[in-house]
Amino acid sequence: MKKISSIVITLVCSGLLLITANVHADWQQPELSYNLTPLKTPIPSADFELLNMDEEKVKLSDYRGKVVLLNFWATWCPPCIREMPSMEHLHQQVDADDFKVIAVNQMEDIDQVFAFTGQLEVDPTFTIVFDTTSEVSQAYAVRGLPTTYLLDKKGNIRYRAVGGREFNHPEVVKIINQLIEE
Amino acid sequence: MRQKVIVFYQAVSMAVPMAINMASSNDNILTSGGGFKALLGGSLCLFSAALSPAHATQVSVHKNETSGLLTWTAEDKGFQIELIQLLPDFIRAIYKKHNFPDAEVERAASYCVFGTILKNTSNQQMSYRVKDWRYRAKNDDGSYGKALPVKTKTQWLEEWRKAGVTFSWTLLPDEGEFAVGDWQQGFTTVKLPREAEFDLIYRWQLDGVEHEGVLEGLKCAPEQLDLPAVK
Repeated sequence: MKKISSIVITLVCSGLLLITANVHADWQQPELSYNLTPLKTPIPSADFELLNMDEEKVKLSDYRGKVVLLNFWATWCPPCIREMPSMEHLHQQVDADDFKVIAVNQMEDIDQVFAFTGQLEVDPTFTIVFDTTSEVSQAYAVRGLPTTYLLDKKGNIRYRAVGGREFNHPEVVKIINQLIEE
Repeated sequence: MRQKVIVFYQAVSMAVPMAINMASSNDNILTSGGGFKALLGGSLCLFSAALSPAHATQVSVHKNETSGLLTWTAEDKGFQIELIQLLPDFIRAIYKKHNFPDAEVERAASYCVFGTILKNTSNQQMSYRVKDWRYRAKNDDGSYGKALPVKTKTQWLEEWRKAGVTFSWTLLPDEGEFAVGDWQQGFTTVKLPREAEFDLIYRWQLDGVEHEGVLEGLKCAPEQLDLPAVK
């Protein structure tokens, strides 16, 4: 019963937010670029273990050997929403044996994100995990959302992007393929 | 360099500005936003040139025809700033969604809040610090008051922490180090009443060199939209 109430409250709040957000739809204006900033010195990524949408534990270090796109986001963040379809296309485009997309949600819960993803035009099939206390984002020095890191197969942070991006742009795919081939 | 903002309703009396209807491009932006459908109709955007011909700073004021809400955009020396009026109900919805205590929801909504988008439009490293920013309110007699510091995210988080709130997002980060193509957004807050007018003095650093801009004639959002009744 408590679960149902929680879902209803989430849906009502999401609806209210969508209505008001529509009034403020200008809030999502900037064009999405595709620049990724290479780090001068690769930084070892902090490991974490968080729950996914199925309430299963996901550990970052389990994906060593794959290139990982690590994206910090939230449902109330318009550029996060805008870049999500490109992340899904990228996820579909690059071989799953070599590449993993992990979207680290900030301080929301499964009900909120479930209600949100049901309203998206493109249903995300990549991994979404829940950083309910923002401890992981703090470990990654994330100041604002969205922020994205590209990790090489050894788990080192190699590229950074602050703000929304078009992740399935050929230039981004080229960088990912280069990291895969290393 | 001061940047001249020409508010849409003043523009008809100005010689330089030209009105550009951006309705189609705006709709494209809206429809590309996934769950956010295009509800808003056409929009009007008026551009003015910078006062100094040496730097063609582009400042625009965009009025959403449906909502009447205003957006100010200025760009100079690799720094683009966009301020978007936000209704108190939008702020309430955001923080209620994150289970803020009612008193904190209302306190946040009592501020003059702008959605703020900052973008590095240069090919160099750009940075900013909100603690360097100031605002000066316009008095009833048309004069301007003392320049006051813009409230920072750190100050908000400290107050929220005392109120038992651990949520730490939505506000514009206190500082930003932007590489090429980076941008950021968040709420900027000033303690002014509804529909108050003020100037924002903002600073940024481009490749280590300090710059300053002033957005004049900014206006806080009204309490509610004055939408025509649906028949």
